[in-house]
Amino acid sequence: MELEELKTIWLDLRAHVDQLAGERQQYYDFFEQATEAYVITDLYGTIADANGAAVDILQRRKRYLRGKPLAALVALEQRSEFRRRLRALGSREPGAERSWRSIFESPGLRTDVELSARLIDRPGGPGGICWRLEALA
Amino acid sequence: MTTVGAVRELMVKRLEAESLDGEGRREMEMALEELDVMWEELQGQAALLVRENERYAEFFQYAPDAYLITDAGGNIREANEAALELLRSPRGEVVGRPLSEYIAADDRVSFLSRSVGLVLGAMVNPAAWRAQLLPREGAALAAEFSVRAIPLKKSGVGGLCWLMRPAT
Repeated sequence: MELEELKTIWLDLRAHVDQLAGERQQYYDFFEQATEAYVITDLYGTIADANGAAVDILQRRKRYLRGKPLAALVALEQRSEFRRRLRALGSREPGAERSWRSIFESPGLRTDVELSARLIDRPGGPGGICWRLEALA
Repeated sequence: MTTVGAVRELMVKRLEAESLDGEGRREMEMALEELDVMWEELQGQAALLVRENERYAEFFQYAPDAYLITDAGGNIREANEAALELLRSPRGEVVGRPLSEYIAADDRVSFLSRSVGLVLGAMVNPAAWRAQLLPREGAALAAEFSVRAIPLKKSGVGGLCWLMRPAT
């Protein structure tokens, strides 16, 4: 009897995991395979995830990017300006811009980028930022 | 205690009552321990998937670009915040409606033929094109559409993911 019950519970959890995996696929594909370059950060600009197109622009491995401040990839001379805009955005300052230009730096490469940002709304307030990075010719 | 933990405890009690020899008991206990580890791994996998689902679903919802997901029939299954702003419509009005209803009549036939081709697996050339978008309120606006195939949530069957941008 207990074995039967155990088997049922096990199969239920397995089915739940399979369903979650199926649901994850749509949103994961949406993010990862987008032709646009997207980065997800917390409100302080710490990178939670970057898709393949963003990795191409930032010229860093995904594993390197996770947990790094996005500001650290901005050219030194523009970093304080980036942080100022980030603070304004995260604290919903009136008039805070959602789009601006910046320069990203990787070893041996500087890339002009148009940044667009949108706050992630959660019931308790903004919970992070979704960024689009567009490399300018 | 989890349900599986309760069942396990019952089994241990039953084992104690059974007259298994020392080796038989040890083997059974090892099998139960193994089961515990596998159960924890499966639960960990479920928790990780829930967190990832939340993160990617949240990203879809708050992406800086306007995105829609349609099913094989061209009906809108999902729309993110930026798309709702562009269509100037609440979510309840958008989800379930054919995307073609938001396309101006002059562009609708061309739009539909591209959509059907994509659903049937044909390559679209060009990958992005312009059409007049009809928001619920206000004037029509020129928008650039690009599209790619995407598996639909739950069913996993093919759907289309549309990126819409006001044309510059």
